[in-house]
Amino acid sequence: MSTDTSDAVSATGSPNAKMTARDVSVFYGDKQAINSVSIDVDRDNVTAFIGPSGCGKSTFLRTLNRMNDTIPSARVEGEIKLDGEDIYASAMDVVQLRARVGMVFQKPNPFPKSIYDNVAYGPKIHGLADNKGEMDTIVERSLKRAGLWEEVKDRLTDSGTALSGGQQQRLCIARAIAVDPEVILMDEPCSALDPIATAKIEELIHELRGRYAIVIVTHNMQQAARVSQRTAFFHLGTLVEYGLTTDIFTNPRETRTKDYITGRYG
Amino acid sequence: MNNEPASDRFVDPTPTDWNSAEMQARIRKRYASERRFKFLGLTAVVASAAFLAFLLLVMLGNGIGGFSQTRIALPIDFETAPIGLDPDLIRSGSGEAALAGADFRGLVDYAATEAYGPGADAWFSGGAWEIVRARIAADPDILLGKATFDLPAASDIDVANKGDGGAVSERAVADLERRGVISKSFNSAFLTGGDATDPALAGIWGALKGSLLTMAVTLALAFPIGVLASLYLEEYAPQNRWTDIIEVSINNLAAVPSIIFGLLALAVFINFFGMPTSSPLVGGLTLALMTMPVIVIAGRNAIKSVPPSIRDAALGVGASRVQVVFHHVLPLALPGILTGTIIGMARALGETAPLLLIGMRAFIADPPAGLSDAATVLPMQIFLWSDEVDKGFVEKTSAAIIVLLVVLLTMNALAVYFRNRFEKRW
Repeated sequence: MSTDTSDAVSATGSPNAKMTARDVSVFYGDKQAINSVSIDVDRDNVTAFIGPSGCGKSTFLRTLNRMNDTIPSARVEGEIKLDGEDIYASAMDVVQLRARVGMVFQKPNPFPKSIYDNVAYGPKIHGLADNKGEMDTIVERSLKRAGLWEEVKDRLTDSGTALSGGQQQRLCIARAIAVDPEVILMDEPCSALDPIATAKIEELIHELRGRYAIVIVTHNMQQAARVSQRTAFFHLGTLVEYGLTTDIFTNPRETRTKDYITGRYG
Repeated sequence: MNNEPASDRFVDPTPTDWNSAEMQARIRKRYASERRFKFLGLTAVVASAAFLAFLLLVMLGNGIGGFSQTRIALPIDFETAPIGLDPDLIRSGSGEAALAGADFRGLVDYAATEAYGPGADAWFSGGAWEIVRARIAADPDILLGKATFDLPAASDIDVANKGDGGAVSERAVADLERRGVISKSFNSAFLTGGDATDPALAGIWGALKGSLLTMAVTLALAFPIGVLASLYLEEYAPQNRWTDIIEVSINNLAAVPSIIFGLLALAVFINFFGMPTSSPLVGGLTLALMTMPVIVIAGRNAIKSVPPSIRDAALGVGASRVQVVFHHVLPLALPGILTGTIIGMARALGETAPLLLIGMRAFIADPPAGLSDAATVLPMQIFLWSDEVDKGFVEKTSAAIIVLLVVLLTMNALAVYFRNRFEKRW
């Protein structure tokens, strides 16, 4: 099966890969959560990770910017590279890595600060703005890219937590964009949102595509089909199939993939 | 499918009668128990409020007199009085010695007897002569003629004037009132003076300043150490046997009787390090030891209640661990930490037992000028005055309690103000 997987990866066209993972396994203590996953994340496309609950797709996503480091029992084996640089090498600064590989979480988690400060926080700690004017520009640009500017431009000093759920999530995307990342990881960004807010986020993902490499974990297969160009199907900690989204949804090679997307389990 | 008898078991032919007598009785019982619970809760709240009101009223009633002092006007005719001083002598180089050698006590006794008859010398406070002396030193020319001094009355006259004295004193007060020379005024010396053996002269400022200095040392040590310890334990320390042991130790430390901290301080700070006894420095160190575990426990709970999603969010935009802690976790946990600090500091402010052992129960007349001067603290002063025989100290004790409560309330109000300010910012 692992031969199938590497075939699928090479079929997606490695020369354009932003991030490459090779034989990545993740352990929580003695329990293995991810078993030898190899995958390329394309720089110009949206990659969706799908699979049933507990299949390890979120765990794998969090290895891509080393968020698993915060869990003491977590251990990662294998190799993950960002533009050819090993992100688990000792020379890699994890703080800078997370600025380059931003993350949007399942539950909107704005800081309990003003909308402005939420967006400005990342640029501030990384010293991306020299003065207030530059910071204003960054905040405005980020909020515009996140499609939130028109809704909040008159109340930038209001608390970020006072926004609606969908607005909060777009604020979190704006916050991630503000540090000018190369990759944005999204961990089920719409699972706590209503359909209208979800549609807005999906639209936003379309607009951000090409500027950032985007990886999105989702439970919602229609969403994966709508927003992504590449889809990876995870099951029980292994990568079952990876390919063009159109192929995965119309012509899956694996029976398990077919069973999952047709709703036989999941 | 031959389990039909089993499925029959679940078919209830008679629907539940929600209006049956049994049901009604159950409902009544439920209502009764809710009423009972509400009543008990209300009783508890009313009882505690009543106790508090009773305490405050009694303290105010007893203590308000401690803030005023009865004074008697005493005319002194220096031409006849046996003082043997003149302005030139006092202004000369040996003026200090002359003042030190003069018998002012005898002068006051003589003038009192002259003015109000035999026995009147006992109406004046034992420290009244100091006021006469101070005025003569400031203005020696009054020695050339007659002068009237407003001097503090002795404590039995003072008490009688406030309506609670013995028969002899009451008669004396009535006599003085007829002459129109007795008055009652706000006793500013009580708020600005140190302890004294004469209740008319005893003040709370020494103990208050001692308490403030001690609290400053306690806060300066316990707050940063407590906050940093709780941050380290929650955010950095690996979860292993050692951190478990530390956690249990801190919890036990918070429960250790305070007198044991006093013994520890006596052995370590005073005997080993040779720090000055009775000093606010040692008192503050001792109380800091006691307060720190309280702040650590409250701090850890406050830090634990900061949602992990905030840490994820900050890490996700590339904040370092220290930035996560100081930009996000600490500000969000600060209101909770402050609450714990108030509780700890309030406990420390009212503490006497450990301070007994490091010598802060000494009689100290001068307010401490620095951290290493001998001092006492408010609760200790209350304890010392309550032990005095002189009746004048009864109202001083209550007045000191009022001062202690006011300090406590001010401290709490400040803390609540700061807490609200931090909460608004976030």
